[in-house]
Amino acid sequence: MAAPDELFCWEGDWGLPSVSTDCLVVLAYAQFAGAPLKLKKMSNPWRSPSGLLPTLRTNQKENLTRPSDIIIHLRKQKYNADLDLSAKEGADSLAFISLLEEKLKPALIYTFWVEPKNYVDVTRRWYADHMPFPLNFFLPGQMQRGQLERLRLLRGDESLESGEELEKELYRDATECLNLLSQRLGSHKFFFGDTPSSLDAFVFGHLAPVLRSKLPNGKLQQHLKTLENLSSFCSNVLLLYFPRDGREGGGLKASSPPPPPEGGDFDHVPNKRRKQVLSALAALGAMLSYALLTGMVSIQQEALEEPPDPEPIGGEGEAGEEIH
Amino acid sequence: MTLVAEAFVSQMAAAEPWPESATLYQPLKEDQILLSDCASSLAVQAYLRMCGLPVQVVCRANAEYMSPSGKIPFIHVGNQVVSELGPIVQFTKAKGNSLSDGLDDIQRAEMKAYMELVNNMLLTAELYIQWCDDATAAEISRPRYSSPYSWPLSNILAYQKQWEVRRKMNAVGWGGKTLEQVYEDVNQCCQALSQRLGTQPYFFNKQPTELDALVFGHLFTILTTRLTSTELAERIKSYSNLLSFCRRIEQTYFEDKSS
Repeated sequence: MAAPDELFCWEGDWGLPSVSTDCLVVLAYAQFAGAPLKLKKMSNPWRSPSGLLPTLRTNQKENLTRPSDIIIHLRKQKYNADLDLSAKEGADSLAFISLLEEKLKPALIYTFWVEPKNYVDVTRRWYADHMPFPLNFFLPGQMQRGQLERLRLLRGDESLESGEELEKELYRDATECLNLLSQRLGSHKFFFGDTPSSLDAFVFGHLAPVLRSKLPNGKLQQHLKTLENLSSFCSNVLLLYFPRDGREGGGLKASSPPPPPEGGDFDHVPNKRRKQVLSALAALGAMLSYALLTGMVSIQQEALEEPPDPEPIGGEGEAGEEIH
Repeated sequence: MTLVAEAFVSQMAAAEPWPESATLYQPLKEDQILLSDCASSLAVQAYLRMCGLPVQVVCRANAEYMSPSGKIPFIHVGNQVVSELGPIVQFTKAKGNSLSDGLDDIQRAEMKAYMELVNNMLLTAELYIQWCDDATAAEISRPRYSSPYSWPLSNILAYQKQWEVRRKMNAVGWGGKTLEQVYEDVNQCCQALSQRLGTQPYFFNKQPTELDALVFGHLFTILTTRLTSTELAERIKSYSNLLSFCRRIEQTYFEDKSS
């Protein structure tokens, strides 16, 4: 059997396998269809072969970045989560995925990237914390500009700015979409019967970040939480298909468990110890090199036979002592 | 339309009945209008006929600029101007004419989802073929779009529109698609619509809804418009129930005028 394809995707947080919607869709579909993928989780998009995440690198060295393309590729490899669907259910899948893209996606882009409080407190902070130096200085801003541009083009309005009115319009469309999805799901476990399909993957990918992240301005989040069947749908998928990630994030859920001693996930910086040690070493190195260069401390080679000349050292040592 | 404006329009709309002098504006039919605009306009006309609301179609070269949202078509009713099918459906609903009242919640969810399917796939595919396919853009779209204007304005407007549409295609992720992939997407969309329609006369059995109007508008226009290749029309013709659906709506709502 050929080697499995490699999937490069964003890292996870908040109990999710990944923070990006597109990555979640691909990961969920791969789990549903049982496709073996070599996962490479990272927070540096420049390290992925196409410069974007998610990216699937196939055996023919092709790079696919759109979730729909990746799903089509997996289907061709006989990893198909939609086998059990009837023709009408397949048609409904396509229709509801379009509904998600047209009505919910703009609101999600707004919630995470355009709404000022959310962007500064959650999105930008997460990406800046997780990206390596020096990308964390300019890449989040660049991503934000890209997303704002995308929202402008989707709405067909060049002069779009964040504001009350835009927020109301987008959230109105999004809440309608969520209500429709909730009605369609009803009390079933998945959208079409007992096994999940591609529509479940798309819905999970779009809803999970909204449910799990902690947003200061969370109107959409609140509405979603009132739709119990959708919330339990997401928890179900996480429990069944991503048990490891779900357990890690279990303590970060709202209500009863107390917040972790670091003061919430805002302070959770990866590799904290390593960064502390590196900072201390860097500071020590800087102080030593300053001392050496200005001559406060000097290192002299000692010849083995002859004793060193006492005066220069003594003089410098006295000067050093006086200064200190 | 903004929320406040919409609420205002709904209130005003509810107050007055549908006047005889309602007009629908679209670009010039013979020379200027493009496939996607023609499809949207036909969808609105079909919807209004299904509701039994009379409307006159007026062709203007600057219809796109007159429209409040920049999209075709728009209707001028009384002293209000409403553009695009979605807001027009809401507007007529406020006046008490609605085709989807008899649907239950699940059916309404499906109807909205299928309307978004048509907007997401068919309309985007039409825009792609018109503006991102170089042959079609050069032979048909640019000359037609700029036909009412003289040089150099014609060139500027045509290229500006092309650039705008191409940016939008990139934003929705269609920028990297090939023409073959687009035709395949259209095929999938038609297959889904055909599956949903089955052997019923309309999508929701006996009564037509706005979904029927939208699908009719797009399919009929694609079937009757001349493009550089007939590939798109061929894909639709392979679904016989969609063809008979279009014929049925044409005969029921569009041929009574001539008889």
